[in-house]
Amino acid sequence: MGQERFADVVERFTSGYASAAASAAEAPPETVRQWREELERNLGRLRNLHALLTSPEPRTGQTPREEIYRKNKSRLYRYASARTHRTPLLFVPNLGISRPYIFDLLPNGSFIEYMTRQGFDFYLLDWGVFGPEDNDLTVEHCVTRILPRVAREVLRSSGAPELSVLGYCMGAPVSASFVASHPEVPVRNFIDMAGPIDFTKVGLFGLWLAKDHFNVDRFVDTLGAIPADLVRAGFKLIKPTMDLSAGLGLWWNSWNDKYVEGFQALSKWANEYVAFPGEFFRQWVRDFYQENKLYRGELVMGGRRVDLQRITCPVFVVGAREDYIAPPECVRALVDAVGSRDREYVELPGGHISLIAGRGAAVHCWPKVSGWLASRS
Amino acid sequence: MADPAASQQLFDLWKRQLEEGAQAWTRLLGQQAPQAPPLDPAAFWRPVLNEGLETWARLFAQTPASPELLSQWKQFLDQWIEAWSRALGQAMGTEQFAKLINQQLDAMLAAQAPGRTMFDQQVEQMLQTFNLPSRAQLTGVAKQIVELEDRIERLEDKLGAVLRRLEAREPR
Repeated sequence: MGQERFADVVERFTSGYASAAASAAEAPPETVRQWREELERNLGRLRNLHALLTSPEPRTGQTPREEIYRKNKSRLYRYASARTHRTPLLFVPNLGISRPYIFDLLPNGSFIEYMTRQGFDFYLLDWGVFGPEDNDLTVEHCVTRILPRVAREVLRSSGAPELSVLGYCMGAPVSASFVASHPEVPVRNFIDMAGPIDFTKVGLFGLWLAKDHFNVDRFVDTLGAIPADLVRAGFKLIKPTMDLSAGLGLWWNSWNDKYVEGFQALSKWANEYVAFPGEFFRQWVRDFYQENKLYRGELVMGGRRVDLQRITCPVFVVGAREDYIAPPECVRALVDAVGSRDREYVELPGGHISLIAGRGAAVHCWPKVSGWLASRS
Repeated sequence: MADPAASQQLFDLWKRQLEEGAQAWTRLLGQQAPQAPPLDPAAFWRPVLNEGLETWARLFAQTPASPELLSQWKQFLDQWIEAWSRALGQAMGTEQFAKLINQQLDAMLAAQAPGRTMFDQQVEQMLQTFNLPSRAQLTGVAKQIVELEDRIERLEDKLGAVLRRLEAREPR
């Protein structure tokens, strides 16, 4: 009975349709295939969006590693590798803002995993998450106290006579300051990935933090540290449509299991902002953003002038075409500022993060960096 | 854009699936309650369903709907977001915006500072009353530990340098 009634509905449905399109020809198989695909995708979307809401956060940072040094909140990790290249690589990321597990986000989608598979003895400096007790930490302290010690630990642990240094984002100007002011440290190669050097070309942040508008002293004196929520607000403001386009991208691609897994991991990272120690922020904004001292050769750290011309090792600079945090022109400036004969600049597709993390990075960036470094390690 | 013939094939497909689905449900209901008359749980909304299905049938027959429409809609949204992003980027890249945003930040700091100081003082007093360490005292202790760690490290460095020099001097 139920079946007959249901069949009646179907019959009426199709009869109604047939009367309106009686003259219609047979549907092209391509359209039917497209509809089928779309239906499948929508089912996948529902399934994955449900999983996104209910499943636990994905495990990030799975490449095996060993802590070889710690100082206050900072940790130095060594990642397991076949070590086919003699010179170890020290990776210096940004301090504050975000956590460094973005470089080892998920298996088969991790910069660190890629580099270790290429046989590099890989060391990651995790600056850590700072508290109010660290508010006196300065950029100078990082350059003159932490980085030399970390470099020594890398050499000790690897047993190599030299090391390569790779600075990413803020880690690039900080480590460039270290390499330029510590000629006694045997640095074989230096790589700057999306690290601003000429702060007159640094885009919106440069404008907002300019001396004419932004009183960094008042800011630090009042707040002590720069809280994570304020860091988040600054980064959200620089690209206000980011969350909207990310949400749209998620809805569109949510049928794809791999995409959803990557989104979940990336989203976890992107919402985990890290505060700046107060004095670090003061020096960072004043000396780098407001006075451009590094590029102008006026930066003095630990009584030593930081002269980029004193970087004479091979230098590789990587800019990202759509980077609005460190636009390519402010990154590129390093190539002309160093004293090296072997120097190269490449501009790759992607933004500040997608330059080094994600599918695009695996295609465009990682092989370039690995290839350049392999022939010099 | 799809022509009406494409939709014809699609509806044939749906019809077959609906019929097979209906048969499966009937079989299932029949197994669960063989003695009772077959249930029709959708009876109360069937008129609405019929109406809706007919409307959809007419709509699909008259409009060239295809999944490509969704792609076009997504492209449109992407372009719309990109256009907004560019417009906002231009607006935020001006001196006026930089001044405005910093005025807002200054106002926030000015409003926060007295309240913050008062709050800190009150919390401190309260902790003192209960004979508990204040946040400032704990931060002070943590700072001392960091400083001690730093001093030990410097001593280690110096000791290491002295030992290396001694080792270099020792005859083999």
